[in-house]
Parts: sequence; C-alpha cells; structure tokens
Amino acid sequence: MQYVIIGNGIAGVSAAEAIRRIDPDGPITMIGDETGPPYCRPMISMVLEGRIGPERLPVRGRDFYDRLGIMPVLGRRATAIDVDRRQVCIGERRCAYDRLLIAAGADPRPIRAEASNLGNIFFMRRREDVHGIHHALDAGVRRALVLGGGLVGFKAAYGLIQQGIPTTMLIGSAYPLSMQVDARAGAMIREALVARGLDVRVNLEVRAFDGNGAVRQAHLSDGSHLDCDLVVVGKGVLPARSFIPAERIAVDLGVVVDDHMQTCVPGVFAAGDVAQFVDIARQTPWVNAIWPEAVNTGRIAGFNMAGRPVACPGTLSRNVIRIFDLDVMTAGLVNPPEDGTCQILQAEDHRRRTYRKLVLRGGRLVGMAMVGRIEQGGVLTALIGSRTAVRGNPERLLDAHFNAGRLVS
Amino acid sequence: MKKVIVHPERCVGCMQCMLACAAAHSRSGTLLGALGEAPLPRSRIHVGVGAFDEGFPNRCRHCDPAPCMLACLPGAIYRDASSGTVLVDADRCINCASCAMACPYGVIRYHAVWDGPPEKIVAVKCDNCLARQAQGLVPACVEICKSGALTFEAPDRAARRRTDEVARSVSSGAICPPPAPGFALLAAHKRARAEVPAG
Amino acid sequence: MTHHHKGKTITQDGQLLLRKAETDQIETVWDRHQAQLPQCGYCELGVSCRVCNMGPCRVDPFGEGPQKGVCGADADIIVARNLGRMIAAGAAAHSDHGRDLVEVLAAVAEGRAPGYAIADPAKLDRVAAEYGIALEGKTAVQVAGELAHAMQEDYGTRKKELTLAGRAPAKRRELWRRLGIMPRGIDRETSEMMHRTHMGVDNGWQSVLLHGLRNALSDGWGGSMIATEVSDILFGTPRPCPTQANVGVLKKDQVNIIVHGHNPVVSETILQACQDPELLALARERGAAGINLAGLCCTGNELLMRHGVPMAGNHLMTELVIATGAVEMMIVDYQCIMPSLGTVAACYHTRMISTSDKARFPGMEHHEFHPPNALEKARQIVRLAVENFASRGESYIPVEPVPAVGGFSVEAVVGALGGSPGPLIEAIKAGRIRGAAGVVGCNNPKIQHDQGHVALVRELIANDVLVVDTGCAAVATAKAGLKTIEALALAGPGLQEVCGALGIPPVLHFGSCVDNVRILVLAAALADALGVDISDLPIAGAAPEWYSEKAVSIGAYFVASGVYTVLGPMPPIAGSANVVKLLTEGLTGAVGAAFAVEPDPNQAAVLMRRHIEAKRRALGLEAIRV
Repeated sequence: MQYVIIGNGIAGVSAAEAIRRIDPDGPITMIGDETGPPYCRPMISMVLEGRIGPERLPVRGRDFYDRLGIMPVLGRRATAIDVDRRQVCIGERRCAYDRLLIAAGADPRPIRAEASNLGNIFFMRRREDVHGIHHALDAGVRRALVLGGGLVGFKAAYGLIQQGIPTTMLIGSAYPLSMQVDARAGAMIREALVARGLDVRVNLEVRAFDGNGAVRQAHLSDGSHLDCDLVVVGKGVLPARSFIPAERIAVDLGVVVDDHMQTCVPGVFAAGDVAQFVDIARQTPWVNAIWPEAVNTGRIAGFNMAGRPVACPGTLSRNVIRIFDLDVMTAGLVNPPEDGTCQILQAEDHRRRTYRKLVLRGGRLVGMAMVGRIEQGGVLTALIGSRTAVRGNPERLLDAHFNAGRLVS
Repeated sequence: MKKVIVHPERCVGCMQCMLACAAAHSRSGTLLGALGEAPLPRSRIHVGVGAFDEGFPNRCRHCDPAPCMLACLPGAIYRDASSGTVLVDADRCINCASCAMACPYGVIRYHAVWDGPPEKIVAVKCDNCLARQAQGLVPACVEICKSGALTFEAPDRAARRRTDEVARSVSSGAICPPPAPGFALLAAHKRARAEVPAG
Repeated sequence: MTHHHKGKTITQDGQLLLRKAETDQIETVWDRHQAQLPQCGYCELGVSCRVCNMGPCRVDPFGEGPQKGVCGADADIIVARNLGRMIAAGAAAHSDHGRDLVEVLAAVAEGRAPGYAIADPAKLDRVAAEYGIALEGKTAVQVAGELAHAMQEDYGTRKKELTLAGRAPAKRRELWRRLGIMPRGIDRETSEMMHRTHMGVDNGWQSVLLHGLRNALSDGWGGSMIATEVSDILFGTPRPCPTQANVGVLKKDQVNIIVHGHNPVVSETILQACQDPELLALARERGAAGINLAGLCCTGNELLMRHGVPMAGNHLMTELVIATGAVEMMIVDYQCIMPSLGTVAACYHTRMISTSDKARFPGMEHHEFHPPNALEKARQIVRLAVENFASRGESYIPVEPVPAVGGFSVEAVVGALGGSPGPLIEAIKAGRIRGAAGVVGCNNPKIQHDQGHVALVRELIANDVLVVDTGCAAVATAKAGLKTIEALALAGPGLQEVCGALGIPPVLHFGSCVDNVRILVLAAALADALGVDISDLPIAGAAPEWYSEKAVSIGAYFVASGVYTVLGPMPPIAGSANVVKLLTEGLTGAVGAAFAVEPDPNQAAVLMRRHIEAKRRALGLEAIRV
C-alpha cells in the first residue's frame, strides 16, 4: 500500500503515526511547503509573546521522518490531484498513491486594502511570520495595528501588548472572539485587554496603507487615519483547496468527508483544517479548523487509510484561552440561534469572578462557555461531544462545585 | 499489574485521600511538614459531590488513548511505558489548559510544584505515586482510605470481586444485608433530602 | 450564583437579599456550606472520635477497615459518646443562659442592677412558692433574693431532684426515677456526661444514652425552665400582642438597631435605651425619624413576646439583614451568632457590638454588659448607633413586613381559654382539634430555608392540629403570615372554629428556644387535667431545620418527657444501627416516645398526625386513619 499525505501539519503527522501503528512498511510520502520538523502552530503566538522560544515549537523530533520511514517532500506545495491515475502533482513531479490524505490545512484570508504588500504587514499563520514580526519589533515599533478580533487577531494583540507595544485592534463586531465566545465572556475579555492598554475600535476597516517601503499609516473606513509601523492581519483562514479538482472531489467550504474521513472518491481522505465534516453540536456540515480536531481527524483518517475502520462521530468547536488572570473555555454552540429550540442557563459569580453559560437542546448539552475555574471544563466538553442526555436538573452543572460525580449518580 | 481502583459507592467523603495525596507530593512527604512548604502541595485526587451531595472520589484514569495527551500542544504529556501512567513533563508544559478542555473527568489542576521549575504554573495530575511504589509502598490515597473506596489491586481481580458481589445481591433466596446499613441509611436520608419538593 | 437563590430559601426577602449579597460580593452561609461539600461521612455517621489523644479514630462503615478505635470503642460506643457530648453542650448553653438570668435576679435583690426590676411580682410569688419559699411579710426584692439563691442551688448537686421537675406529671416523675434519669443538678448532669464520655468510663452505649436523656431533662426541667421563668419575672410574662416580621421591619428613615442572640438581659436594656427621650431627640437631630429596634433569632423572640418588638429574621437571615445596608448597629449576646457577621458588616457602615464576657467575635467592638452597668452601657452604644446614622450609604429594604401576633405564654393561653385548659381539652375530645404540635428549632442550609417549618405547619393546621412554635421556627411561620387571624383560612374547619371563637391564630408563638419549656408546662397541665402522662397525649414535636447542639438537647428532653419528635436533618448517629434502633424504636418502651427522622415536611406531617391519631385512639377518643 502506497500512502501520500499532503500537508505536514499536525493532521498529517497524526495520520502518518496512525498508519504506522497498523502498517509498518507501506511507503509514505509527505508533501509540505513548510520545511523542518512538524511544529505546534497554536504555540507561535506564545513565541510572539516571548513566553517560549522558537526552539520549543517542534512537536516531533528532527528524526520524525526517518523514524517513521516517511519520504518528505518539503518546501513544495501540491499543485493538482489526478484522481484517475491516482497521482498527486507537485509542479512537474508526480507522486503515485493507493491512499491519499489531503491535510493541506488552511491559509490566511487576504485583505482588500490598497498597498497591503508594504513591508511590516504580516499574517500570523506560520513560524516565519512571527520571526518577521520579531524582526520588525527589534527594529523599533511605535504603534502596532491588528486587523480582526478572531483567535489570530486576539492572540497577536495579546502578544504585542505583552511585549509592551501600544496596539490598536480593529474589529467588525462589538467584542473580540465573537465566533468563539458569547457577549458576556467577550466583554470580560475586552475589559481585560483594554485594562492592559489595548485600543479596541469596532466597526472599522482599513481602506489603504501608506508608507515608504514599510507601512507608516493606515487609512480607515471612517475617513480617519492611524499611524502604525507594524500590522498583523488576522481576518480568519480559508481551507487550502485551490489544487483540488472540485469536479471530482466534493468541495464545499472545505473538502467534504464522511465519518471515516473519506472524500467522495474512494481512497482519497481529508483531515484537519481543510476537511469539512459534521459539527456535533450544530449537527450541520462544518469546518472546525482547530488543533485538537486536526489531531483527532488526522488520526482517524490514518487508521482508515491503513485498513482499520474507525468512525468519527463528528467534530466539535472548542477553545481555551488564558490571558492575564482570565481563563476562558468554550465548546460547541456558544451563541445559539434565537429560534426557541435551545435552553440557556447562565450564572455569574462576582465574588469568585466566574461566569458560566450552558446551552441545551433536546435534553442534551450542545454548548458551553466558562470564565474562571475552568479546570473541569473538559467534563462539559465531553458531555457535548458524547451527546449524552443530561439527567436531573441541568442547573447543577452551573455550580462552582460541579464535579464529574454529578453526572454518574 | 496492580492499579488504583475507585469504588465510588464506598466513598464516605472524608477527603483524607486528598490530605494524604498532597502530603505524599510535598517536599517533606509528611502532612505537618507539608503545611509549611512553599509552594503548598495540592491534592491530585479530588473528592467532589454527586447528585445528592454524597462523596465522589475523582482521580485520573490514565486513559488509553489519553485525551489529554492527544490534546497537549507542546507534547508535555506522555505515558510511562512500564506502568501505563500518564505523566506531565513540567519543563515542557506551557500551562495552556488544553488538557483541561480534553479531560472528560476534570482531574487536572494548574499550580507550581516543588519538584518542577520554580514558580512556574504547570499542569498537575495523578502520577500513581510512582515514587512511593518504587519504595514498595502503595499509593498514598489507597493507604489512607479506610472505607475501601480506593484499592490497589490487579484490575481483573477487582472486576471478579465486583461480579461476585453483584451475583450475590441478585441471586434468589440469598438474603444479604447491605454491606453498611448505617451508610445506606445516611445515603437514603440525603437522597430524600435532595428530593424534597422546593417551596 | 443567581440561578439557585430560589432553591436556598422560600422567603422573598431572602431571595432578593441573596441577589444583593451576590452583587456586593458577600460570602454567605450557603456559599460556605457548598464549599464544605461533600461533608465527611465518618463525621456524618458519628463514627469519628476525637475524645482522646490515642486517636483520632474512625470506624469503617463497610466493615472491612477498622471497626474499633484505638481504645477499643466500637461504632455503638463512639456514636453514643458523641451524641452524649452534643446533648451536654446544648444543655450547658441553655442552662448557662439561665444562670445569667438568675444572677441578674440576685443582683436586683441586692440592689446592684439599676437597669432591672421585678416586672411580674405575681409570677415571682408563684415560682417562689414552688421552691418552698415563704412569702409572708417579705418584699418582692427579698423573695427574689431567696428565689435566686434556691435556683442557684438547683445548678449544684445538693438535691436529689430538680425543683421544677416537680411540674411534670407524677407518672412521668415516677418513670424517670425508675429509669434512673431524674435530673439532679443542672451542672451536675452535664459535668457527669463529660466524665462518662471520657475514655475509659461509661462504655455501655445504652447507659450513655440514658444519661443523655437525664442531661437533657436537666436542661428542659432545669436550666431552660429557670431561664424562661426568671425572664418572665424580670421582664414580664408575655401576653398576646401584635408585631411584624421579615426584613421589611427595618425603616428607611430611622436609626435601625438589631439585637441578635438569646439572652434578654442585654436586649431589654437596649430596648429601654431606644426609648430614652434624650437619645430620640439626638436621632431627630441627626436627621432620623426615630430609633427602630428589631430582633433576630431568640433574643429578638424574647423582645417580641414581651413588647411586640418586630422581628427582622431568623438564623439564616442574619448575614442578609446586614446586607440591606440599612442597619446602623447590631448588638449580639451569645449563641448562634455566626463568626462571619463581622466580615459582612465590614462591607457596610454597620457597627457590630459584642456584649458578653463569654462571647467574642472577629470584627466586633466589645462593650461588656454586667448588671450594674447594663443600662448605662446600653445608652452609650445606642448613642453610637444614632451617630452612625449619618454614615449610612445606599440601603435596600426590598419587602413590606408581614403582620403577626406573638406573646403566647402558658399563662396567656390559659387566660384566653378562660382560666383553665378545660376548653382546649374539650375541643380535643370533640375532635375539632385533633391534637397539638410543637414545631421548634433552627434553620440549616441543608434544608431550603423556612420550607421545612412552613410546609410542615401549613399541613398540620390544615388538618386541625393546633401548632405552637418557638425559636427560628416561630419566626419562619410569622414571616409566612401564619400567625394572623387571617391565617385561620388555611386551617381545617375544627381548628378554624375553635381559634376563631378564642380570637387566636392557628399558630401560637411560644417564644424563644429556651421557651420550649412553655410547651412542656402546657403538656404537663393537659396531662394532669386528663389524669394521664404526657406520653398519652395526642401531641407531637418536630425540629424540621435543626442544626445546633441545643436542638439535640431539646429533642432529647421532649422525647424523655414523652413527646414523639420528628427531626428534619439526620443527627450523626447512622453509623450505629443499635443507637438508631434505640432512639427511633427502643425509647418508646422506656419513656413512651421516640425520635423519627424525615427531611420531607409533608411526610413529617403525616408521621405526626399518625402519632396523634394513635394517641387519640388509645385515649378512647374518635380517631382517623392517616
């Protein structure tokens, strides 16, 4: 059996390791445009913060490819897939497969603003991006501008203010992380960031940048302008699907897979940020581009590719964030539609500075948000993930003293 | 191989296992000594409450596959091959709480430990008292538990014992009183109290 | 947390103030109870022992671990010893409270107590006669001196039987003598209990428990009874008077002073000071319309019974009352005063004053009261309270007060009946009133606040059972509006008719927790009138939300006096099946009554009614199946 894995992020890595647990010998080719051993993408913001050094990023040793008997094709992107001939094209080069995994990940969503190719305007997706930002910081930055209040924008802003850089954040919604948290938790996060000096501005966009080689100024949609000598763009990501033949392999927002992580083409699988499967909480097709799901779907895809059938019940959006003294964890449907199908329970304890929100639908927990005392949040996340019916009064789950024991007795 | 087996139906909620666990994971290894230490040691077994406020000893199951291990960003959580124990490498841990989000039992805590990097907050969890086991001792929580809620035994033996107990209790003609009538009475009282309709 | 305030208390003022406390970041008794969960099962079962230093020890309830303490005591002995010591502590608390009153009586006799006087000389004479004191040719003050002396003797061990135990029916006294539980000296029984439960003394669990009954009787027919009688002599025997209850008794435009605790010795002088024209003038000068005194817990009940002083709340409300921000001063004496109060008060302008040489609290100013200086001290601190009015910030008094009638001493009840218990007995015989119930005791965060009391009492009166209540139970039913003539609408037809004719509510406020002895005295009078023992009467007792050691003593003296008693929370005895069996069944054979434990108030009502109907049947009266 010949395996080809497009992508050397954690989904591809997890898949390769799963394959090797079942098939020690089948040749594996791994194509990745980032060189070097696999590293932990979510941790690059901690490098920006200065909390860890870049040497801490790799999640596997330098011998990873050798140890697993993988032929790496690094520094290159797959350019096409020939479904009929079972080949992956890398420019002129062709790579034959019996089982193919598309784990190409996602790319930052570009912005439409004039002169966005000026120097010191960065995405924050890759290790090199942070390296570039550090370089700019070393040369001296008076004010940074962060575009977007999603996870990337938030982490960039947090990292920059931790570095002592006066920072402005432009966001489209009323509070940061509006896709991850609810209004209350979002307000708490915003307060924490603003209290540490972040300048948050809402409902604003950049129309154009200005500068001589490097960015000096941003022109905003309200006609004002803002001096800045560093810009981080965090407007979300898009699945990297440009090389996928959409007429053969079903692609929606991401590559559509079944519960074995297989696309509509037998033998072709997808996992990680590029894959679109069913969201457990929403029960609709969804792309959950998060690290733990990349590990999970990569692993399941690997087992299936190597011939051991393993089904995935779905993926679940979830996040945990620690900033200053604020801990925030969310999972599933945090902001449910106001169609009356969901029951919402909330509790806020000012004395302990905790907030909890539970979203229930049909007697099952489908979403939760918690601020403070998050140690046992995994219990709730697991409850959402397993779609277990909540027995007894669900308000018990709001208690600060909540414990796994509440569920079993 | 022996493992710590939890029998929640026997937990009286005295929390002595928590004291013993904290003391066992202190620099001095004794309760009185531990009280003066910085950082203060903390328990890795967590006695919480069940539906009617009865005790519930909550402890790492050392799952396989371990969700915390899969979720760990820096790869700080690993399995000790010889004992199957899931451990945290305090030096690699970045205190991101990804493991808190992954653990379905909620048994990981975050604080500094005396034998970890100084003053660094790290993920802390049950280590099966491997250090004590190396000295021929049973895990501290088991040693202190006098009600049989925590035992250290081979899992198959524990399972057999449990099967026998269930078989005895359902066999016709065999009149077996509950193992602890007083405890059953207290539990029934608490259950009744929890079920009193609110006014 | 906002979501379950309703689960904590049935009271509207409680729920609203819990929300306020949450906003103000005040930690309450409910928070601390939550934080304690799960509570130690060994201790809940009563099988942990800290009596000696070979221990501490505990017995494994599952039978595999240790079954005996280091000394060799098994679960039966350990449970009995622990329960014995709870009774001793409860009896000691009540009796020491009584002793303080006797000392005031002695000081009055010696002319050393300028703030006090003999308010009810007739009662003084009656009680003195019971003590065999000749009255002829003596002034009230002389009689008071001799009575104080005689009562002080009751505390010692010079007699074989307590004087006031003579009030029990002859049959009952004979039974006590036969069982060897006739109380001798008040302090002696407590002291002997501490001796017996020392390691290596009484290791017969039955004999320890029997002494527990004797120890409790030394409270009920001794210390507590003296406390009530002397309080009546010094401050007046209660008669029915209107009052109000709940947090709404605080007044926005007045200086609010709260007395909290148990002994009227301090609170009576505070009441006098609050009526002092000079201090009232000062209050007006400071912009207040007056000085508003209100009570909490039993010292509040003492003032309510005798003067109609309004009641701000019961045990679980004591922190929340401060959270109104409307209290200028809280003055405490002793018992049931949570040490957290000073911390709560620190968040507001409320000044906290402790007054007893034996009770100090963190975060309180100590102004020690003694009979010679009490009135002067009272004036001083009321002045401080008035001056504190200017410091009041925003206040929150979220409800209107509920009217109630208080003041039912035995004398008042008999008076209402026309001078003898006869009409009540006739109503019981006729079945219009099925029987009577004493509902007593505390609050406990393990039980939804006031629900245990209110649900039980509603159920009892709806079924024609006359209810007398005391302590926090009495405050609960007052707040629930059950102590009004209008509440007769909730009573069964027979009770409605009888109480309606007498012009009394279906639930009679019998006073503070030492005033439980009024229930004993009334029961004894009914038994004597019928020529039977107390255990033959169609009556029952309940402590639906009890928490304190005093309540254990009360329960034990009720049962030892022949009153079947239902407890809400489980006492720490379940670790010994033998002790459970003795207390819930075996005692019936010995003293004609036993305990039951039932957390559901509706079920408790069924148990009590079943008992009452069984007693009716035994007396040859018409009875129904419950």
